[in-house]
Amino acid sequence: MTITTLDPKICEEFIRIVGRENVIDDPERMDDYSHDEFSLRDISRMPALVLKPRSPFQVAAILEIADQEKIPVTPRGGATGLCGGCVPSPGGVVLSVENMNRVLEIDADNQMAVVEAGVTLNDFEKAVEEAGFYFPPHPGEESAMIGGMIATNAGGSRAVKYGVIRNYVRGLEVVTPRGDILSLGGKLIKSSTGYSLLHLMIGSEGTLAVITKAVIQILTKPSVTRSLVIPFDDLEAAIETVPLLLKKVVPLALEFVPLDVIQITEEHLQKKWPCGQGETHLLVILDAASEDEMDRLSQTVAEIALEKGALDVFIADTAKKQDNVLDIRSKIYEAIKHDTIEIMDICVPRAEIAAHVKKVRAVAQKYGLWLPTFGHAGDGNVHTHIMKARHEDGQVIPISEAEWREKFDKIREELYDDGMARGGVISGEHGIGLVKKKFLSRSLSPEQIELMKGIKRAFDPNGILNPGKIFD
Amino acid sequence: MNILVFVKRVPDTESKIRIHHETNTVIEEGLNFIISSNDEYAVEEALRLREAKGGQVTVISVGAEESTTILRKCLAMGADEAVLIKDDLKETYDGLRIAKMITRAVEKKFPHFDLLLFGKQSVGADNAQVPSMVAEMLGLPQANVVTKLEINGTQGTALREIEGAEEKVIFSLPAVVSAQKGLNEPRYETLKGIMAAKKKIIPVMTLEELGLRKEDVAPQVDITKMEMPPARQAGKIIPGPPEEAAKKLAELLRREAKVI
Ligand SMILES: Cc1cc2nc3c(=O)[nH]c(=O)nc-3n(C[C@H](O)[C@H](O)[C@H](O)COP(=O)(O)OP(=O)(O)OC[C@H]3O[C@@H](n4cnc5c(N)ncnc54)[C@H](O)[C@@H]3O)c2cc1C
Repeated sequence: MTITTLDPKICEEFIRIVGRENVIDDPERMDDYSHDEFSLRDISRMPALVLKPRSPFQVAAILEIADQEKIPVTPRGGATGLCGGCVPSPGGVVLSVENMNRVLEIDADNQMAVVEAGVTLNDFEKAVEEAGFYFPPHPGEESAMIGGMIATNAGGSRAVKYGVIRNYVRGLEVVTPRGDILSLGGKLIKSSTGYSLLHLMIGSEGTLAVITKAVIQILTKPSVTRSLVIPFDDLEAAIETVPLLLKKVVPLALEFVPLDVIQITEEHLQKKWPCGQGETHLLVILDAASEDEMDRLSQTVAEIALEKGALDVFIADTAKKQDNVLDIRSKIYEAIKHDTIEIMDICVPRAEIAAHVKKVRAVAQKYGLWLPTFGHAGDGNVHTHIMKARHEDGQVIPISEAEWREKFDKIREELYDDGMARGGVISGEHGIGLVKKKFLSRSLSPEQIELMKGIKRAFDPNGILNPGKIFD
Repeated sequence: MNILVFVKRVPDTESKIRIHHETNTVIEEGLNFIISSNDEYAVEEALRLREAKGGQVTVISVGAEESTTILRKCLAMGADEAVLIKDDLKETYDGLRIAKMITRAVEKKFPHFDLLLFGKQSVGADNAQVPSMVAEMLGLPQANVVTKLEINGTQGTALREIEGAEEKVIFSLPAVVSAQKGLNEPRYETLKGIMAAKKKIIPVMTLEELGLRKEDVAPQVDITKMEMPPARQAGKIIPGPPEEAAKKLAELLRREAKVI
């Protein structure tokens, strides 16, 4: 990869702002900052410099210079994104918020946490739990950072009951490309005070402003949780159970997973899933205020599932068993990552999941590619993995690069078309970034995209902040 | 095969343990209680043996009324019967006392058995005494800390963990075996199992019924003080370029930790 160098004078200024120890310019270490978790390295780009500011004032000073000199700046959090959102622009710098990593306050009376943008999900959860609270949004990778989660409007499996991170962000401190530090919202449940710039920031993928601090709503912890693993002989019965369940019970999470990827993950982790029967499993995670309520809920779920032909209902109730089940579910990605080209993120109205997944299977058959599909059955967000392999009789058979490259776009197009025809969107929680930008017009009208570009220009007239992401 | 499995209700190791310093007891409020994990291996092993060889699995717990919850879980896992030996005293940390009750119950109520299965030790008390004491009092062969068990007719073969090695023990039945992590992977309860378990009656045996007087089972252990183990110290991060950091690390390992 080529490195574009910056004017040495400007470099010096950047270094003066953040201090030598907070700058990376050695190519070997900068390589880490050239990509995110999207698996194809085609989109990686080397930054000219990596800056790790420690305060909003340093961020403002960096942006002012960049704006003047028209140097692209790409904000970066944990780089766990799956669509190249934090990949730098040619000749641009990466602004990593990793050094702004303090949990500033857990305000118990208001049930709000105040955190810097570089706090990881892992550290945030720990702090919140230690204070006796609970933060539901949970993208599967805990090294994601608060700023990145807000910038992508992250969701995760608990969205069925508790919504996505948008439902929890109450206040933000952001720095605009002009170098203004804005304080949006606050420890407030309500606000009807003008346009919500706060909500505009959520999901803006680092294109409008750099998020430096957030006020996050936290909840009281549910006292009992339990995970149910429900095997079905076929996908349809499993998915058709979902709307029936949701009429009676709102689970914390409601996922569907095919047994084949579970088995690959069991092998990968050397752990055991509760049950090896069936073809598609539902994972239902419940929370309740008491054991009695939990028993009632489990009973209801079980009755509906058994009625729909579930083979049985397996119960993980101790913390250890629940962790085991959740760990296997969360690490599927890790287990099949090696052969994954892209994790799609289509979200359809949840009653459409079964039909959409059927389409995925037809497409897999047509192109002779393995498209393992699983995801958040409860909220309609389907993660179809496009693989560099076929899957036959339990065997993963790699296919040639020429072959998968030829099929990759065609498969995406067919699946997007199907998702859109069902009233869906191309991204439910990962964002558009670089990878999905050429498909954006399938999801949004030209008028909508034009309005969005206008908003971008209002914040960033010189187009320096994460240019080329979402749209050109 | 007729198998008796002994299980204990203990606080979940994942819950946060707090101590009541005046009474030297663990504060139960807010705790989750589960089957002691080693006992769960014992239950699983019993069920597998029964599935392979037929017979009957009876699960027994010594404890207060609340222990019926874990007995019901064992029934849900597939045990045929469950019995509570009612003991109104809270945790006494007195292994001998429990071993006496179990021995008496086995002699009086369950004289026909092939195998007594225990967990190697209970979570919390961690005494690892009861299985061996019961074996001694009943005059039975025993294999404890077992990670593999095979039964052939009236002969058992067990692999047990010993320091730095594994020991193979061959013994005749009836016998006492205590289970250790690695023996098997306990199954998850199923709703069908739970429904079936709900219908079963869990008989309660009192100490009087076993012919034990209060003084026979008076606790012999006094708890004078109960403390949390010291918090683990934070790790040390050695900064600097790799060559220097490695040198420094070697030096610290030699001088401070004294491990090399
Ligand atoms: C195994 C795995 C599982 C995942 N599961 C889920 C899931 O269940 N749900 C889900 O929603 N996502 C999931 N993701 C995707 C990813 O974790 C989320 O998108 C996450 O929110 C990204 O956070 P990050 O800090 O890593 O952001 P990055 O990848 O660093 O950046 C993402 C975007 O945010 C911008 N950005 C980052 N920080 C800031 C800031 N401070 N100010 C302004 N813009 C900023 C970047 O420019 C970029 O456009 C998963 C990823 C992996 C690898």
